[in-house]
Amino acid sequence: MFDFLLLSGYNRIMITQEKLTILTESAKYDVSCSSSGSKRKNSGGMGNGYAAGCCHSFTPDGRCISLLKILLSNDCVYDCKYCPNRVSADVKRVTATPEEICELTMDFYKRNYIEGLFLSSAVCKNPDYTMERLLLVVKKLRTEYRFHGYIHLKGIPKADERLNKEAAKYADRMSYNMELPSERSLKLLAPQKSKQSLLLPMKTLTAERTNFLQEKKKGLVKGYFLPAGQTTQMIVGASPEADGQILRLSQALYRNMELKRVYYSSYVPVVRAPLLPNAQAGALREHRLYQADWLLRFYGFTVEELIEEGENLSVDYDPKCAWALKNLHLFPVEINRASLEELLRVPGIGARNAQKILQARRFSTLRFEDLQKMRVALKRAKHFITCDGKFYGVKNESAVQGLLTAAEWSENAVQTDFFALLPDDTQNGQRLLLSNRQSAIAALTGEL
Amino acid sequence: MLYLFDGTENGFFTAFLQAFSDTDAHLSSGEAQLLLGQAPIAVSTDDSKAEKAKKRLLSFDSDCLRDLRILRRCGASDNEQIAFAYMRKLANEKRAVRDMLADEAVFQAVSYMRKVRLEIHHLHGFIRFMETESGALYAPVSPDHDICDLLLPHFCARFPSLPFVIHDVKRKKAAVYDGKNRYLLPLDKADVTLSCNEQAWQALWKKYYSAVNIPSRQRIKQMIGYMPRRYWAFMPEKNGSDTENPDET
Ligand code: SF4
Repeated sequence: MFDFLLLSGYNRIMITQEKLTILTESAKYDVSCSSSGSKRKNSGGMGNGYAAGCCHSFTPDGRCISLLKILLSNDCVYDCKYCPNRVSADVKRVTATPEEICELTMDFYKRNYIEGLFLSSAVCKNPDYTMERLLLVVKKLRTEYRFHGYIHLKGIPKADERLNKEAAKYADRMSYNMELPSERSLKLLAPQKSKQSLLLPMKTLTAERTNFLQEKKKGLVKGYFLPAGQTTQMIVGASPEADGQILRLSQALYRNMELKRVYYSSYVPVVRAPLLPNAQAGALREHRLYQADWLLRFYGFTVEELIEEGENLSVDYDPKCAWALKNLHLFPVEINRASLEELLRVPGIGARNAQKILQARRFSTLRFEDLQKMRVALKRAKHFITCDGKFYGVKNESAVQGLLTAAEWSENAVQTDFFALLPDDTQNGQRLLLSNRQSAIAALTGEL
Repeated sequence: MLYLFDGTENGFFTAFLQAFSDTDAHLSSGEAQLLLGQAPIAVSTDDSKAEKAKKRLLSFDSDCLRDLRILRRCGASDNEQIAFAYMRKLANEKRAVRDMLADEAVFQAVSYMRKVRLEIHHLHGFIRFMETESGALYAPVSPDHDICDLLLPHFCARFPSLPFVIHDVKRKKAAVYDGKNRYLLPLDKADVTLSCNEQAWQALWKKYYSAVNIPSRQRIKQMIGYMPRRYWAFMPEKNGSDTENPDET
C-alpha cells in the first residue's frame, strides 16, 4: 500500500526513544486530548473520525490518552517564564522530521493506541517558519500517507494568516492557547505573546469556517475546514486572576469566537522563577471551574448568576449547589411537572437523570421510590424537589447547607472528571441532550 | 418453571410463547442452576411460531429485536431471563416500553443493554492490535460480553484495506476481516508471528505512555475507574507494569 515506505526503509524513520520522550514531556501540559467533533470519512488509506471521541488509555494521573501529543520541536526563540523550553533555559534541543512524526502517527494509529495526532511546536527561528513546518507535516499525513484520523494542530501566534488558513484545511481542530487570563499577566510571563496575537487568528479562522460551511452547503466547495472547530486553554493559578475574571473571558470566547471548549489547567511548577508561584495550584479549583464552565455552556447559566459577590467560586459547594442555596425561593420543584431547564438546575440532577425523569414520567406519576428504583442520585436533590407533592428533604436552611457539604464530598468520590469522556459523563451533560443524536454526542464530549 | 432452549433466537421466542403466562417462569439457554426437585422443560424450537411472535412484537416496537440482540450478548448469567421479562412487558403493554424506567424489568434490561454498549465503546479504545509478519493485524480480547463481532464495523470503516483478527480468547472465537468480507469463526489458539518491528513500536508506545504522565498529579483511582483492570492484560502499556498500587491514592 505504501510503496515509498519500503524504499525509504521502515526502520530508518522510526523516531528514537529519546527524541520521543523529550518532545512528549514538553507537550504534556496541554490538557486538551479530545478527539471528538469530526466525522471525517475514510476515502482510501487509513483512519476516520469518531464524532464522539475515543479514549485509548489512561495514565496514572487520571488523564485520558486519545491523541499522540507531541511537539515537532522544542527549540524555542521565545522566553515564556513558565516554560522549560524557553530560549534562556539550558535544555537539550531536538527537532523531529516530518517523516518521523508521520510514521509514528501511522504506526500508533494502526495498533489502536491513539485516535490521531495533537501536534504543536516551540517557535523555531520565527513564527512563519514554524507554521510552515507544521503545515508540511499535516499536509503530508493527509495527502501522502492518506491518514484520515483526527488531527489537532496548535497554531503559532503571529504566523502568516495564509498559513493558518491552509493548515485549517487539513486539521480537524486548531487551538491557540490563551494561557494567561489577562493581558497584564501575559506581558509579565509570556512577553512575546499578546492577547491580540492569540485572539486575531482565532477570529479569522472562525470567520473563514463560517464562510466555508455556507459555501459547502451550497455545493460550492468540498473538503473540510476545521470540522471540530477551535479550543483554547488557560493556566489557572500561575497569575492572580480570580475565577470571575477567568469565567467572563470564557463566556466571551464561547459567545464571540464560537469556541468548542475552554480547557483549564492548574498550574504545575516545572520552572522556578521569581515571578511564578512555587506551589502547584489545587485540583479543586480547576474542578470548580470546569463545573461552572459546564453550567455556562449546557445549562443556560451566566457568569453573573454563578459569581454574585466576591470573585471566586465557592470551595464548599459545587457552583450549581451554591447557586441553588442562594435561590431557595425557587425550590422545591415538582419532579412530575418541572421543565427540563428547571430539573437541570436541581443540585445533584444532571442531564442523564433529568432525561430519565422526563422519559419515565410520561407513563406514570413518579414517586420518591420510583426515583430510587431508577437510581437517580437523591442525596442532594431531595432537598430541592417534591415527588407527587411530597417533600423528603430537610426544610431548615442551615441544616441543608450542612448536609450538602457532607453529601458533596461523598458524591465527589465517584464524580466523573472532565478529561475522560466516556458515555457516563453525560451525567454532567447538556441542555440539548434530549433532541437528537448530534446533541447526545455533544453532551458526551462536552463540546458545543 | 425453568424453560431450557437451544440458544437460537427462534428458540428464545418459542420458549417465550410457552412461558408467557407462567408467572414463575425462568428462561435459559445455558447451564442454569436447577432448583431442587424441579424438572426443566426442554423447549423444542418452532420456527413458524417464533416468526409469528417476532412479527407481532415488532408491530408494537420496531426496534425491539435490536434491543433483544444486544441483551442476549450480555455476559450476565440471567440475561435470557431479563430479556424474557422485558419482552413480556412489551407484549403486555403493546407499545415500546424502553422509557418506562420505573418498571423493574425495563430498568434491568436497559441497564444490561447499557453495559454491553459501554463495553463495545470501551473496547473501541482499549483493543490493541499487533502487526503480524504478513502485515495483518491481530488483537486478543477477553470481554465480559459476547461482542467481538460487534467490534468489526468500527475497525472495518477505519482500516478498509487492512486484514485483521479480533480474537475472543475467553469464548474461543474470532471476528475476522480479510480486507473484503467479515467472518465469525471458532478459534482456540492463534499462531501469530509478529512483524520484525512490532516489539520496537510497542517499546516506543510504552515510552510515550510514561512520558505523557504527570507524576505530581497522581490519581490512580481515577485511572482505574476509567480503564478497568480487566482490560489491562492485552495493553502493552499496562501489562507487566503492575507497579501502580491502587491503594496508594
Ligand atoms: S513559545 Fe513560550 S511556551 Fe511555547 S515553547 Fe516557546 S517558550 Fe515555551
